[in-house]
Amino acid sequence: MARGVMLMSGGIDSPVALHYLLRQGHEMVAVHMDNRPFTDDSPLAKTVDHLAMLRERYHQPIPMYLLPHGPTQINLMRSTDRHFGCVLCRRFMWRSAEKVASRENASFLATGEALGQVASQTLSNMRTATAAVGLPIVRPLIGFDKNEIEAVAKSIGTYEISTRPGVCCQAVPDRPATRSNLVQILHEEERIDVDQMIDDCIRKAVIL
Amino acid sequence: MYRRLRLCSNHGGYEAIADPPHPFDLRAVKTVLEKAGIPVVDARVLLIVSLGPEVTISRAGRLLFKTRDARAAEEAFERLRNLLGLPEMQARPADSRVGSD
Repeated sequence: MARGVMLMSGGIDSPVALHYLLRQGHEMVAVHMDNRPFTDDSPLAKTVDHLAMLRERYHQPIPMYLLPHGPTQINLMRSTDRHFGCVLCRRFMWRSAEKVASRENASFLATGEALGQVASQTLSNMRTATAAVGLPIVRPLIGFDKNEIEAVAKSIGTYEISTRPGVCCQAVPDRPATRSNLVQILHEEERIDVDQMIDDCIRKAVIL
Repeated sequence: MYRRLRLCSNHGGYEAIADPPHPFDLRAVKTVLEKAGIPVVDARVLLIVSLGPEVTISRAGRLLFKTRDARAAEEAFERLRNLLGLPEMQARPADSRVGSD
């Protein structure tokens, strides 16, 4: 089985996706992008609790990298077209996860994305976002609908954690792009120092 | 006038929405708050203010108080209202200014 890096948000989907990968026997490392001050403490607390539950269920250590994402969001909001905020944000998450994968000798990345659930999860945006990285990306829930995902979350005990009160991401633009192309996105990224932002993020990683 | 504070969609905080809309000049808001000694994070399209509970101030006029304590949210709203000269909140229907929907 392979070693992979899972992006964990604290929401309903990512622990379910992780559950499927652990069930198949993959050795997983978790990455949580800490979006404060654009959220509250709840996504981090939920992620910690999700991992505690899944570690116990699958008897795996599942190290968790906590990476600061708030400073990246501030840079994006100050310097790039808000319309593409979600895609740009996702590209930084992928890049950060890939850096962790390199450090952890992991060979794939994974998320709980399912098609069409939120603005960043259109095919067009997924393609643009994932063009930021080279590792293969596994999406165990890609064809699931919300009801199916919630049913699994309830059956494995993560649903109640995911649905605790919390503040939604305040960095989401009023009208996020549902379509994007790489030329547009690369043009936006010329306005920021991508490598420096990723280096800063990784340098401040905390492993839990 | 601001509508009564109400829980946001994920029930993680209270939001205040002006009706009619009350857009902010965020640069001016930032100046006022910093002069009052209040730390402000400037993300250009919104400000994040440490005011007891953290408060997000959007350009469109929405205020989000990151607390599930209704009284703390209301106190923070009053402080902001005094500092920024915001419109009043709707009168209390009964004994509270805080809604639940």
